[in-house]
Amino acid sequence: MKLYLKAPRSLVLQIRTDLNRRHAFAHERVGFLTVGASLLDDGALLLIVRDYSRVDDADYEEDPSCGARIGGGAFRKALERAYRARSGLVHIHSHGGPGLPVFSKIDLKSGKEFVPGFFEAIPSMPHGMMVLSSDRAAGLFWLHKRGAPAPLRSVAFVGAPLLKFEAQ
Amino acid sequence: MDWYSRQSFLGHESRHALHAARIAVVGLGGGGSHVCQQLAHVEVGKIIAIDPDRIGASNLNRLVGGTRLDVLLHRRKTSIAKRQIRRVNPNARVLACPHQWQKCLDVLKWSDIVIGCLDRVRAKDELDAFCRRYLIPFVDIGMDVHQISSGYLIAGQVVLSFVGGPCLRCLGVVTDTVLADEARQYGAAGANPQVVWPNGVLASSAVGLAIQILTPWQQLPVEAAFLQYDGNVGTISESHRLAAWSGGCPHYPAEQRGDPGFRLQGHSFA
Repeated sequence: MKLYLKAPRSLVLQIRTDLNRRHAFAHERVGFLTVGASLLDDGALLLIVRDYSRVDDADYEEDPSCGARIGGGAFRKALERAYRARSGLVHIHSHGGPGLPVFSKIDLKSGKEFVPGFFEAIPSMPHGMMVLSSDRAAGLFWLHKRGAPAPLRSVAFVGAPLLKFEAQ
Repeated sequence: MDWYSRQSFLGHESRHALHAARIAVVGLGGGGSHVCQQLAHVEVGKIIAIDPDRIGASNLNRLVGGTRLDVLLHRRKTSIAKRQIRRVNPNARVLACPHQWQKCLDVLKWSDIVIGCLDRVRAKDELDAFCRRYLIPFVDIGMDVHQISSGYLIAGQVVLSFVGGPCLRCLGVVTDTVLADEARQYGAAGANPQVVWPNGVLASSAVGLAIQILTPWQQLPVEAAFLQYDGNVGTISESHRLAAWSGGCPHYPAEQRGDPGFRLQGHSFA
């Protein structure tokens, strides 16, 4: 499956700034994107980022297995925002550093647990998870609650300057 | 010295960026024909040329590449644009769409930049809305000839519209009054007054805005621009309307991005 994603460059800069803020105990911050979608003539699916929402400091919980995680309140708020606009929901965080980022084993394990749950609220849209580096991004998206996720093939941060890159 | 040596100042990766770029040109008359030729010269890799019309005798005063033979043969403007591009750069990938742009949505959606060279304000408005929906920088050019007490005034504008910045409605290029006026009358000097040299100035400015998006030529590239052309004086300058914009476009909310009413169900994906 061919998956492409476009995001406004200015929004990506805001996301990086937000995710780089220190938290009292969480080593990594996370946030949520909402996306629209479009079918292209080659059968590919184009995902178009609509908006970003940060996770409130109070919605992080200490977790002995991985240091910290976000609680159900953060997911509920994100799902409500996505539901109102019939958007796809994307969990996003940053690993920093340059180059194409790679999901950790913990990222993949937890993503496979929570992303399919997004289909309960919004079954008509694709949902996924993304990871940013300082200059690239990678993503996994689900088109069905029970299907396997597919990686983003290419990403464009649209603005001036335009940045397009292969995301695999 | 090769083709690229005189524009290497655009940046060390700019040649690759230009080769990888997909630019759609909507409207291939006086403005669009200039734009296509310049995109070929700077080595843009893929040019999508869109226009449903065929050349007529009244186009010969400004349509770059158009010939008397083309008029006799009633050639499509897309065929002339493709020929002109290929004469300059045989390696350019040219997709000719001899239809209204509304019938070319699939190829437009995946364009990196759309340059609109449309006469009608209503058409500019609709193309701006489309580009906002699919997150595409939109460069619009337009010129008019107005009758004034001392003769005629040639005026025009080049607008770069993109999310986060003002749209054509925010900048007053599209207003309900203008749309209503357009419905009644076009221009003041007869039907569609157009001449080649203002088209050239406006097209060149539009290409400049596109290139600063694609290459690291400018240290501070812009995502919004409103350049006004005074063809009688021969100046092009930033419109005060851009500086006066208060921020926050109310016309195209982010939640409208993507296909309206998109649903996964019923689609098969490659």
